[in-house]
Amino acid sequence: MTDNDQRHATERKYPELYEKLVPVALGVILVAIVVVLIIAAAIALGLFSGK
Amino acid sequence: MNILSTLLPFASCCVSFVFAFLVFRRYLARRGPHLLLWGIGMTMYGIGGFCEAYYGAFGWNPLVFRLWYLFGAMLVAAWLGQGTVYLLAKRKWADILMIVLGLASVYGAFRVFGAQLDPAMMGSSLHTGSELSGRAITSGGVRSLTPFFNLYGTITLVGGAAYSVWIFWRKRILLHRVIGNILIAVGALLPAFGGAFSRFGISGALYITELLGAILIFAGFIRATTPMGATSATAPGAATPTGAPKQ
Repeated sequence: MTDNDQRHATERKYPELYEKLVPVALGVILVAIVVVLIIAAAIALGLFSGK
Repeated sequence: MNILSTLLPFASCCVSFVFAFLVFRRYLARRGPHLLLWGIGMTMYGIGGFCEAYYGAFGWNPLVFRLWYLFGAMLVAAWLGQGTVYLLAKRKWADILMIVLGLASVYGAFRVFGAQLDPAMMGSSLHTGSELSGRAITSGGVRSLTPFFNLYGTITLVGGAAYSVWIFWRKRILLHRVIGNILIAVGALLPAFGGAFSRFGISGALYITELLGAILIFAGFIRATTPMGATSATAPGAATPTGAPKQ
């Protein structure tokens, strides 16, 4: 991100609801990705019977 | 016939085909390989749903099982994810990955349609409606291909959507694309969890999550391509339909 983008980002705001919800949703998605990858690894290792 | 295991996948099939039609129509109007790949991916999603509905109503037969395994279990996530790769990666790398995915998909199709199936699991009376698996494939080295496709699909489709959310959110631009990509990411993750729940014996989880996944990906696409007007600032450089601008 350029300095210009950084400055504009601090000036711009989403509506308050989204300012709170978006980082929470992003965090949940990242955790979910990790969980899915762990499950995939477990299937690959034969811990579950996979598709 | 198990109503739950027939109607839910049939609904997924209908949602997916409607979505695929809209994406193909958009592709004809605007071009862009990501739209073509998403259209193909959602068509695969629809084929998978149709095969599951057939399974719920009549049980497997070899052709329907092979179609389900190839499109619904093996290829769908990877092809949807490849569309996101075309949005986010440099064209040269996207083309290289497309060639690899294309060759791998042809190999996968060759293996799935050439695989030996357990005839005992192909009977019309053998369907529980609660579990879908590739156990009917008795040939070695076929089912082990699937995690690689799904890993690639998860990383590119969900990871790509999450990356786009992060880029837009950091700059506080294009809120509609932030919301759309969150819906797409959640929608893409749901069937993966549904598959895991199904393995743990939670009956019907896969059908419900597949339907919700199709609806959320569809809603996310619509949201991401429909500006919210006054609620989001616009950025002159952000011209890609649903992904973050290429860095």
